[in-house]
Amino acid sequence: MNASASTTAYLQARGVGKRFLRNGQAVTALEDFDLSIAEGEFVSIVGPSGCGKSTFLHMVGGFEPRTSGTISLAGRPVSEPGPDRGMLFQDYALFPWRTVLGNVAWSLEVQGLPKARRLEIARKYIAMVGLARFENAYPGELSGGMRQRVALARTLAYEPKMLLMDEPFGALDAQTRELMQEELTDIWQQDRRTVLFVTHDIEEAIYLSDRIIVFTARPGRIKADLRVELPRPRDASIRKSPEFMDYHARIWDMLRDEVLRARDAS
Amino acid sequence: MLEHSRAFARQLMAPLYPLAVLAAAWELLSRSGWVSPRLMPSIAKVGRAFMEGLANGDLVYHASISFTRALSGFGLAIVIGVLLGVFMARSRWFEWMVEPIFSFGYPVPKIALYPVFILLLGFGSPSKIALIALECTFPIAVNTYFGIRAVAPRLVWSARNMGAGNVRVFLRVLLPAALPAIMSGIRVALPLSMVVVIITEMIGDSTGLGYYIAYASASFMYAESYAGVIAVALIGFTLDRLLVALRNRVIFWEPDGAAQASRPSH
Amino acid sequence: MSGVRNATAAGHLPLRWLAGWTLPVALLVAMQLAAGQPGAPRYVVAPTDIAATTWELLASGELIRDAMASGMRSYSGFFMGAALGVAIGLLSAVWRPARAFFDPLVSTLYPVPKVALLPVIITWLGFGDVSKIALITLAVFFPTFINTLYGARATPVSLIWAARNMGAGGACVFRRVIFPAALPQIFTGLRSGLALSFIVLFAAEMVGSHDGLGDMVVRAEEAMRYDWMYAAILAIGLMGFVSDRILLAIRRRLLADKYPGEARHA
Repeated sequence: MNASASTTAYLQARGVGKRFLRNGQAVTALEDFDLSIAEGEFVSIVGPSGCGKSTFLHMVGGFEPRTSGTISLAGRPVSEPGPDRGMLFQDYALFPWRTVLGNVAWSLEVQGLPKARRLEIARKYIAMVGLARFENAYPGELSGGMRQRVALARTLAYEPKMLLMDEPFGALDAQTRELMQEELTDIWQQDRRTVLFVTHDIEEAIYLSDRIIVFTARPGRIKADLRVELPRPRDASIRKSPEFMDYHARIWDMLRDEVLRARDAS
Repeated sequence: MLEHSRAFARQLMAPLYPLAVLAAAWELLSRSGWVSPRLMPSIAKVGRAFMEGLANGDLVYHASISFTRALSGFGLAIVIGVLLGVFMARSRWFEWMVEPIFSFGYPVPKIALYPVFILLLGFGSPSKIALIALECTFPIAVNTYFGIRAVAPRLVWSARNMGAGNVRVFLRVLLPAALPAIMSGIRVALPLSMVVVIITEMIGDSTGLGYYIAYASASFMYAESYAGVIAVALIGFTLDRLLVALRNRVIFWEPDGAAQASRPSH
Repeated sequence: MSGVRNATAAGHLPLRWLAGWTLPVALLVAMQLAAGQPGAPRYVVAPTDIAATTWELLASGELIRDAMASGMRSYSGFFMGAALGVAIGLLSAVWRPARAFFDPLVSTLYPVPKVALLPVIITWLGFGDVSKIALITLAVFFPTFINTLYGARATPVSLIWAARNMGAGGACVFRRVIFPAALPQIFTGLRSGLALSFIVLFAAEMVGSHDGLGDMVVRAEEAMRYDWMYAAILAIGLMGFVSDRILLAIRRRLLADKYPGEARHA
């Protein structure tokens, strides 16, 4: 169950560990963790609650410190947040005091681009997620799905080398979620950026990814690492194909044990 | 267990650092002679004045008077405030007639009415207690009103679903659910009671800590005056801590919270 | 049930407005009728007389003069206390040493009435403006500091991470994320501070002052000119009320469209 890493690893995690204290008790979230992701791969991590998948994502993003090991992107070690790894948060993390346009253009302001250029780039990405009509709306006025699209536009606007997504559709209702998955695939299809995607939802992982990593319960280790050999581009009909169902059954089997273990442990 | 008591001890120690710094600064100023040492007596002198005040009963006498007045007014405010808040929340007419008084009256300094109270009730305790009650009723009534209105309808529906009638719903669902807000209002009202009692005692009376401080100051007995201030500080501080402890016991289902915004975790 | 209430409340707007005036009007009518009756106490003055006296005082400029004296003191104290409170609050939010000093200090001394220091401050700084402004500054510092600190610390972590993700450095994050996020809570603190500034001002003026509205109340009462007294009290109330409305208007302009739900809070 090994990932074919014939292409040089773009994102490389080696021996990564995370240990911390909670209520005076030592907790090991991750232990001696290795992972390689090739450029242009869409990789999903699924696992039970508390297994450390989000923690790992945060470490790649540079938001949480590692207690051991190294993480490097395109050969360069990574430990601080930066625009090369664009992060999409579950709660969207939009600035409520700025409009859609203001949010998407924010990173460009930090970069110091002139105003005309900023607006041009921002508008391009807003149009890409289909919210051109709402560029002057405030996040408070938008629905959950729309907010996440704004967040996506904002992240894409600074053209990060890879995308990190922390259960971005977790807060949405099932119908919106499905539509968002399809939109995401469509957009991703256009430039095939490297993506590391964390989710609870097996179907979501299968639909979106080239590769799925199944985490064990805490301390998180790789239980399985499988390729999703479904044809691209993908559309809604693929969810009903027998191959899709087969993947789902296999992954759920593996996951169920871990979920039970996590539940019993807490 | 040890962790818990260590954290508790740290919390207790936390204010000592800044207080010690201030005390040191005071002592330095007092000894340097920049400010007349009569105006700024050394800490030792203030301490002695405090002890003497305790010993000869003066401080205790005046403190207990202030304490009683504050508590009486405060207690009255709780009863009146909660009742008013409840009626405002439950009766539309009552709300329409009474609520404007609270929203218009909030920014009006009610101590401006103290002279009227003196005319009505004389110079002694009753006028003070009445003013304290007036001032403290505002935050308590307003918080009760909002607290009851904000009770999630789902809780009420659940109770009715289980067969509860109006009275039971009120006593066993609405009141407990509104309790955090009510206690929040009570916590805001407590320092107000102290402020009002001290002010009213300074303006015109011959008893109470406010009088004690003002009289000592006017008689050039500055150390005694400061001792009085310390007595006030001790009372205010102790009452607040008692209230917090009470709050945590009464609202045992919600962990320790500050009266203002919840303490953030990072 | 509350749904039904809300549906009908809107349609009853004029009735609601009328109901709000019932109690104050009733009080005024009662006073008007009772005044001048044999056996009525001297301090029950007909509202018509009060109105007439108010007009006289306005025309002669006395009321304006005292109001300006009071206003100058309270606004100076408010601005200085608020500026200090917000500045040090923001500093403490991001710099631990400042927080370790100020947070426990302010939290501990919060329930202590700063007016207890009035005689002390008068001794140090005299009976004029300076002592009053100093005390008001001190008093206003407390709520503004606490609310600013908590508001800033409550900034959602994901917003800060998102900003750092987009390449923003420390100062940028502070200026463009933490400060805007804290703004609603800062305004809460400002509102508390404003109300407090008037309470402290009039307390100080009633205890010892050469002019100002508080002093006017005391002088009028001593001279048994109760119509004057009420006029001054009215002016005080109006000042507090109008100031609060102005602050709310400012808040609405800065915040309302960006923070849905910020509209009405007592």
